[in-house]
Amino acid sequence: MKKIIFSLLLISAFTLNAQVDRSKQPKPGPAPEINLGTPKTFELGNGLKVLVVENHKLPRVSYSLTIDNPPIAEGDKAGVAALTGSMIGKGSKNIEKDAFNEEVDYLGAFINFGSGGAFAGSLSKYGDRVLELMADAAINPNFTQEEFDKEKAILLDNLKSGEKSVPAVAGRVRNVLAYGKNHPKGEFTTKETVNNVNLQDVKDFYRNYFVPANAYLVVIGDVDFDHVQEQVKKNFSSWTKAVPPSYSYSKPSNAQYTQINFVDMPNAVQSEVAVQNIINLEMKDEDYFPALIANKILGGGAEARLFLNLREDKGYTYGAYSGIGTDKNAPSTFRATASVRNMVTDSAVVAFLDEINRIGVEPVSDEDLRNAKAKYVGDFVLALERPQTIASYALNIETEGLPKDFYKNYLSNINAVTKEDVQRAAKKYFQINNARIVVVGKGKEVLENLEKVKFNGKKIPVMYYDKYGAKAEKPNYEAALPADVSAKSVIQKYITAVGGESKLKAVNSVFITAEASTQGLVLNLELKTTSSNKFAMDMKMAGNSLVKQVYDGEKGYVVQQGQRQDLSGEQLGDLKEQSVPFPELNYLNDANVTLEGVEDVEGKKAYAIKVTDKRTSYYDVETGLKVKDVTKIEQAGQSFEQAVLYGDYKEVGGIQFPFILSQSFGPQKVEFKVKNIKVNEGVSDEDFN
Amino acid sequence: MKKQLTLFASAAILSFTAGAQQVTFEEYDLDNGLHVILHQDNTAPVVTTSVMYHVGAKDEDPERTGFAHFFEHLLFEGTENIERGEWFKIVTANGGSNNANTTDDRTYYFEVFPSNNLELGLWMESERMLHPIINQIGVDTQNEVVKEEKRLRVDNQPYGNILAEVKKNIFKKHPYRWATIGSLDHLDAATLDEFLAFNKKFYVPNNAVLVVAGDIDIAKTKKMVKDYFGPIPRGKEVTRNFPKEDPITSQYEAKAYDPNIQIPAIIACYRTPSFKTRDARVLDMISSYLSQGNSSKLYKKIVDEKKMALAVQAVNLSQEDYGVYALFALPLGSNSLKDILKEMDDEIVKIQTELISEKDYQKLQNQFENQFVNSNSSISGIANSLARYHMLYGDTNLINSEIDIYRSITREDIKEVANKYLKPNQRLLLEYLPKEKTEK
Repeated sequence: MKKIIFSLLLISAFTLNAQVDRSKQPKPGPAPEINLGTPKTFELGNGLKVLVVENHKLPRVSYSLTIDNPPIAEGDKAGVAALTGSMIGKGSKNIEKDAFNEEVDYLGAFINFGSGGAFAGSLSKYGDRVLELMADAAINPNFTQEEFDKEKAILLDNLKSGEKSVPAVAGRVRNVLAYGKNHPKGEFTTKETVNNVNLQDVKDFYRNYFVPANAYLVVIGDVDFDHVQEQVKKNFSSWTKAVPPSYSYSKPSNAQYTQINFVDMPNAVQSEVAVQNIINLEMKDEDYFPALIANKILGGGAEARLFLNLREDKGYTYGAYSGIGTDKNAPSTFRATASVRNMVTDSAVVAFLDEINRIGVEPVSDEDLRNAKAKYVGDFVLALERPQTIASYALNIETEGLPKDFYKNYLSNINAVTKEDVQRAAKKYFQINNARIVVVGKGKEVLENLEKVKFNGKKIPVMYYDKYGAKAEKPNYEAALPADVSAKSVIQKYITAVGGESKLKAVNSVFITAEASTQGLVLNLELKTTSSNKFAMDMKMAGNSLVKQVYDGEKGYVVQQGQRQDLSGEQLGDLKEQSVPFPELNYLNDANVTLEGVEDVEGKKAYAIKVTDKRTSYYDVETGLKVKDVTKIEQAGQSFEQAVLYGDYKEVGGIQFPFILSQSFGPQKVEFKVKNIKVNEGVSDEDFN
Repeated sequence: MKKQLTLFASAAILSFTAGAQQVTFEEYDLDNGLHVILHQDNTAPVVTTSVMYHVGAKDEDPERTGFAHFFEHLLFEGTENIERGEWFKIVTANGGSNNANTTDDRTYYFEVFPSNNLELGLWMESERMLHPIINQIGVDTQNEVVKEEKRLRVDNQPYGNILAEVKKNIFKKHPYRWATIGSLDHLDAATLDEFLAFNKKFYVPNNAVLVVAGDIDIAKTKKMVKDYFGPIPRGKEVTRNFPKEDPITSQYEAKAYDPNIQIPAIIACYRTPSFKTRDARVLDMISSYLSQGNSSKLYKKIVDEKKMALAVQAVNLSQEDYGVYALFALPLGSNSLKDILKEMDDEIVKIQTELISEKDYQKLQNQFENQFVNSNSSISGIANSLARYHMLYGDTNLINSEIDIYRSITREDIKEVANKYLKPNQRLLLEYLPKEKTEK
């Protein structure tokens, strides 16, 4: 009682005396403590460990099941883990897939599965049923041949669409070079390895690895511990006790000296650059916080040095970042990455090395340190509101061998990091002298300069690899072209192949109508071109125009979803050059049109003819017909490539026209089938107003 | 004996898990009339400081529409102690984020900070309330910004003017009749003195609610609130006396034109009561029943099965004085607006004549409960709800109890309310058409 009176007095005394000085911005208080709530735990006889965080604020509950196995080598059956993951949760032996999905919807819940666990959430009043459904699907999966075939087809499709993807290749090669291709973190999935997998493999993988020995179930929300214990016992006790097989792996090591590892991808419009080295860092290490802060200052966001240098200052890229990983079972990587314009690939490499070097030799400024901490604290703190974050923290304490108060002290540990700590960590983990600079790009445009890159006065050696990270020869761009082939001869051959110069010159207009279906919707395309440089394109869905583009020989505009925009400058020039039925007639005498080489187009050899900096056309080596147009598009600092493939040539009025036009933009592809082609009819000047 | 005990225990658990959500809060008034709501949740070291002012588009002079939204921009221009251009820098350098928004009823400002920056958040909001700098430079700058915003979000946006057209046609007297973003001509014509007068009238502590939510210490927070907001002088009392609408007795018909579209839209709108009423909540349920998600009635029938429409939506736009219940559809191919309207009307007649199925009813209840729970999953979401329930509904505790109202709604209520408000002679039929066609 006395104490209360005293503190009341204290407060009122305070209000009388303290006048805030509002002319000064208030200083932040001491870093807040994190109160995550200590989970209550129990363990089932089969080894499943359960963590329960009661939080009654909202009447909802989430369950996350994590199987913390060491990395698994899938070897020549790589892909089996992904397939197993996608087949779990398609109902169970006790409930049909459709009934399962319908019930989850009805309850307003969600349940997701993977090969290493599951995550579910719902209102707490449906928590028991959701846990039951999740457990049933996880423990009694219904692996059928039908589902297997379906999921396998999807996986193969995804692999196929990633085949020519420069970022996908870069991701794969980086890991192969860092860890080695037989290491679980370096191995990769291909069509061949997926085709080695059968239903029995999935069942075996599930039986071996989806086991409770290393499994954790984290329950967060409006639940009662005793009740959870009862429900988990009821639903998970039937999970058969087992320990996953253990393996040992070769220990990866860093490069002996800093080197460029180059992968040639002729279709690359940007180079994927990564400066990387492997590190041994665990969350429980003393260096953990200094390493985090060092990375934050170097490349941890849009305020960090890499971003400010490579994007804001030099404009090489849309974004440059670095990341540092931790792993208790195996090494992880430090990696600084960016997608950069072809022309500046070498300069970007130098800029990366400069920044990585600088943070190791120069102490960071007070301001850098202060801002990095403030940003870290902000990001960390705001993320804490999500139950998933809390679940993963509770789990980390268990699985990473962290002290119980690890997250409680997190922010004070961040704030305790000094300039010296940052420098020490940068030197230790950002290994400027043993780095692999993995560059995946178009060798023809970037190699020459890349081979000249020097750092600290020394030339950096370049080594060559293929798309799967195997050693390769230096690409040779000279040999592929026979001496008697020139841009002119390729164009001439095309003109002859489609009908000859005199026939083409007699064409005043072409009117093409085509149709495509995508995602169940029908698209209609109308294309009109005239020999007097007029062009009109209208793409419609269900009778309504999606995109319309018109060029009357001088002015042009685009209408997209009802919004009209007049074209100017570069866009107009682009359009002008394509606004004739056969632009090749103009290429014949254009000195800027050059033969670039021979490349693969859909498995066949084709001559690549560079028409402008933005556009390249491809002509089949055998038939001479045009098989592809590629246009580079730059938007907001990023380069994209848009390709049109031509096929199924048929004769109309003595001229060969392609009857299949397939357009791709990134991973999306739409195939138009031509319905009708009219030459010198159906087009009037009004079409271009 | 042992068995009995467990039985008893599980019964206790049942009643426990079915219990109400517990967003605890404390509320009080400062001497200057500022209403303060504190919500303590120390789970995450995040704090939201927010101020809701009871001023929106409906409070504007009909000759000066757009003022409320304009202020949402103007009041980031700086204060006596925060220099022009510094506001956003201060927020990011301290690990925070901030924003503001305006409706017909209120204007809302908020910051989210790590909790050790609570004082900073309070200082900033108190600066804005006490002495914002309102001068010609700021007015001119924000005038350009607002113009750009209107071009981007309304004028160049396909279907961007639908809401404005609906309001204009369904409200004849009440100030809900104009668009929140207002008229650029009015803003151009406004003088600096008019802006200053608007600030003096509405941006006063007795017309505002301050919410501090998150990782706070109640006693320390109260002291800081008093230190920073206590000295702000009370303003004149704000009184509102808006004209009431006459009931709609025969269908209004209207047409509007939009140069940004090619597919016409049909909108059937019914005027509905304030969101404070139970009936408005029943209409919320009807709207979900008809069009929320791919398994809802209208979507399944008109879009999925009959493929007559590209999109169909039922929206219950609820506001302080009135609401609008709108059914919106875009026809596909050769289907006419009339055909679509008939399909929509058929579904409404069904709700008016038959009870919805038990299963649909339960699913609806589950959906609402989920929404309700998740709307309170972030501290900033809670802060916004607390301010809104206090200021516009007059009952802060609705943050915990509103779901009980939804739970109490029966299948019979749904049928009855559909009959009460969704009659064809009580509605506005708006045809929203492409502009080109009419010119030719």
